[in-house]
Amino acid sequence: MLALVLACALATAVLRDVLGSIIAFAAYSLGVSIIWVFLRAPDVGLTEAAVGAGVTTVLFLLTITKTVRPAGEKILEPIDWTGVVVSVLLVGVLVSTLGALPAVGSAETPVATSEVTDYYLDNAYEETEVKNAVTAVLASYRGFDTLGEAVVVFAAGIGLLVVLQKEEFA
Amino acid sequence: MSNGNDENGDENLGERLYVESPIIMATVRVVAPFVLTFGLFIMFHGADSSGGGFQGGVIVSTVVLMVAIAFGIEPTRDWVDPTTIVAVMGIGVSVFLLIGMGSVALGGRFLEYHAYPVYHASKYGIELVELAIGVIVASVVVGLFFAIAAGVSHGDDAEPAESEGLL
Repeated sequence: MLALVLACALATAVLRDVLGSIIAFAAYSLGVSIIWVFLRAPDVGLTEAAVGAGVTTVLFLLTITKTVRPAGEKILEPIDWTGVVVSVLLVGVLVSTLGALPAVGSAETPVATSEVTDYYLDNAYEETEVKNAVTAVLASYRGFDTLGEAVVVFAAGIGLLVVLQKEEFA
Repeated sequence: MSNGNDENGDENLGERLYVESPIIMATVRVVAPFVLTFGLFIMFHGADSSGGGFQGGVIVSTVVLMVAIAFGIEPTRDWVDPTTIVAVMGIGVSVFLLIGMGSVALGGRFLEYHAYPVYHASKYGIELVELAIGVIVASVVVGLFFAIAAGVSHGDDAEPAESEGLL
């Protein structure tokens, strides 16, 4: 699955046809969402599948109808080596921090041993009456943060209207 | 403040993007109610299984996107009415804020559901908040879709500055 995700990411970067690139990107999102499910994070996986693989693809497709296909028969985009060096360096810096992370599934992670986690897991149902602890944290314990999140989405829509100097989405 | 060019441009867009296909139309007609139900399920059942307002909202908005792709963006925009989308966005944020501040008004803290004198206040409160989030997300995604679709047509009308800011 990791190999599929990496291959799709690579295809997204090097494909010359933007349409092919978008399709590869959607496949990449789908792969990532399946990885989330494997990592026991179905909520995140669902978001990734709906937003990354679904809506973003449609919005990208709508956007490229405005552009023209690049001329020529080549399938792959010529590689920008400066960009490659920069991204490899960035990935290298990020990978160097991986050693500090606990192993996947380890019982000694801060998340598993923290008393906050225990508190949520022990009391979420009695206090909020919902069975999904993620939802309990999202909508009850951390409700104010979620309000901020929802307002960010709202602000994105309003900001678009302001930029376009319109009062409705048309 | 939409300018006069919009109407002409949008018709243009409808002709260029929209290809009538009986297969796609029939498929969307069959699938759309199920997708809508699934989105609402994700939104409401987010309390007891994975999912929630954000995911459910996106899935619900997909219904409008599907209909727009199958039956043409311009008729769908007339059907949905762009002003409604903005209004619904505002309603979603207001509902969330009202639920949050209502508990403050009743003497609790922000979003302290137990302040409401309702049986199972917390459960229904969370469902309502999820619904509000879903409404916000769905309307913003649909709005973005229509805005980008309208932005395409501006390319012909020598208004690149505006659309470039968007894209």
